[in-house]
Amino acid sequence: MKNNLKYVLKKELREVFRDKKSLMMMLIIPILIPFIILGMSALFEMQFKTDFTDYNKVGFNYALSEVESELAREMNLETFVYQEEELEEKLSNGSLQLYVVKTDNHYTLKYHINQKNSSYTLNLVENFYEQYKRILQEQELALDQQDTALLDIITVSEEQIGENNFVSTYIVGYAFLFILMAITISSTYPATDTTAGEKERGTLETLLTFPIRSQDIILGKLFSVTLSSIVTGVVSLILAIVSFLYVNQKFTIYQSVPIAISGSQILIAFLVIVIFSFFISGLCIAIASQSKTFKEAQSALTPLTFVAFFPGMIAFMIQVDNNVLYSLIPFLNFSMILNDLSVGIIDISCVLAMIVSSVFFIGIVISYIIRQYKTEKVLFSL
Amino acid sequence: MITVHNIRKKFVKQKTKKEKEEFWAVDGIHFEANEQEIVGILGPNGAGKTTLLRMIAGIMNPSEGTISFSGKDYQHQEIEIKQNLAYLSGNTKIYQSLSAYELLEMCCDFYQVEKSVVKERILEISHTLEMDSFLHNRIANLSTGQTQRVNIARCLIHDPDYYIFDESTSGLDIISSQIILDFIKKERDRGKCILYSTHYMEEAENICDRVIMMNHGKVIATGTPKEIKNQTKTTNLRDAFFALIGGTHHEE
Repeated sequence: MKNNLKYVLKKELREVFRDKKSLMMMLIIPILIPFIILGMSALFEMQFKTDFTDYNKVGFNYALSEVESELAREMNLETFVYQEEELEEKLSNGSLQLYVVKTDNHYTLKYHINQKNSSYTLNLVENFYEQYKRILQEQELALDQQDTALLDIITVSEEQIGENNFVSTYIVGYAFLFILMAITISSTYPATDTTAGEKERGTLETLLTFPIRSQDIILGKLFSVTLSSIVTGVVSLILAIVSFLYVNQKFTIYQSVPIAISGSQILIAFLVIVIFSFFISGLCIAIASQSKTFKEAQSALTPLTFVAFFPGMIAFMIQVDNNVLYSLIPFLNFSMILNDLSVGIIDISCVLAMIVSSVFFIGIVISYIIRQYKTEKVLFSL
Repeated sequence: MITVHNIRKKFVKQKTKKEKEEFWAVDGIHFEANEQEIVGILGPNGAGKTTLLRMIAGIMNPSEGTISFSGKDYQHQEIEIKQNLAYLSGNTKIYQSLSAYELLEMCCDFYQVEKSVVKERILEISHTLEMDSFLHNRIANLSTGQTQRVNIARCLIHDPDYYIFDESTSGLDIISSQIILDFIKKERDRGKCILYSTHYMEEAENICDRVIMMNHGKVIATGTPKEIKNQTKTTNLRDAFFALIGGTHHEE
């Protein structure tokens, strides 16, 4: 007896690719990826391209000395002198970003921590008073005929090694995480349709009367859902890469450190997409098979979307370093490897651990579903 | 030959939230069905006909007893049995997104029909069942009668030795019902073994060579329609059934 797997797969694929909703889930979710990459780039651009005039308005409760006025002019500070109550009011309504209250020789810098650009203004005014203090110290030392070199007993300078790639790694990391989410969401619909949906429509009973082994039915369903998930993943990856190329050209934040994805990164990302698609499709089929109706299956699968996304999201946010142990943990391993890719790291031992762990868990999931389909419970939910 | 030996099926019914009740939907059925014979399984709704036929069709497992097809049983030769069996119920659903032709082609794949004869076989069956006008239409767009004809074609496509029909004419108009009944008789005449369940006693009387009457999961009478009528001193199977259960008022 030849096995019927290829015919079950043909039938399942025909159903998936003829179903408008499955097609929509497969292709529409990836379309969101360019919007996310463009949107995040635009936000970063806005943040980094803050205009100087947005944070240079500083109030004082005293009349500035000539030295202070000169220094303020040099530093392009826009200065305003009012009573303290007025300064407080202007800070509240946003016409000032900071004001200074002088008491004897003590200066207090007052600002709203939640006000936009307040940290820029704080840095600016701190720098202003550092310079003013230095001028005063030099004047005092000159009066006492002492060497101003005293003020430079030690000197400190800074040198940045490499370029700041925070924005590019952040965007790539999020795009990769979103690809995993897109695969998860898009696999739930065909998995539900091919199991609970087929049961609800009554065609599963017909299918079970054919001379087909349970494992062929399951593998046919698994491969078709996996294939549709891979399509989602690959379309998402392509759109992400095209979007990276576009934002590199369009946004100035990428001028010094453009987003760069190498061929090996793309290859590993593709591998993760394929293995994750297998894993999540198997899991979706296992869960949905236990449900009597399409609606019940969809409710049962909703938490999976969060479970699939959150471990990676948290690891990404708190910047956990990947290791072989983490690469054995389902869900976390896929996100961690993609996180590594976003900063240009390819750790082969972690990739191998992810593959071994996934094959093991996919095996468990498949044998569980085959057992389900060998009993009448899958059909009649007794 | 289909041999059903002392078959039983237990279900668990949830009476209240905490209380469950076990009951035998099919309770100790024993019969044989031979080649060139239509065996009718008769009884009211809830008699256990569908459960019995589902077990014989291999989509439900018996709690006790055995089923064999010319010596082959489901435990050891499930695929071989299904290869030579067709099951059709009044409720059998088929893939709406496929055309009738595509569905039959898919069935040919599953039943391993020789590739070179697939097209010829589909066209021949389509012609026999008068399906030519809608062969390439999507099943979703067909009427109930047309859909049931596609279902019959599905059963016929691999030329099986055993047929199981479960209330396959229920809800159909006279013409569609007659097409099914004619088809069943023709297949019997070709030497096939057919199990036919219905709760239409007149229909059974007209088509069955032998009947098994069921009530509450048990066999209450078996024999040819004539034998059962003689045994109960009635003129039709409907009256015979009521005579056997002791009146017209009975529990479903």
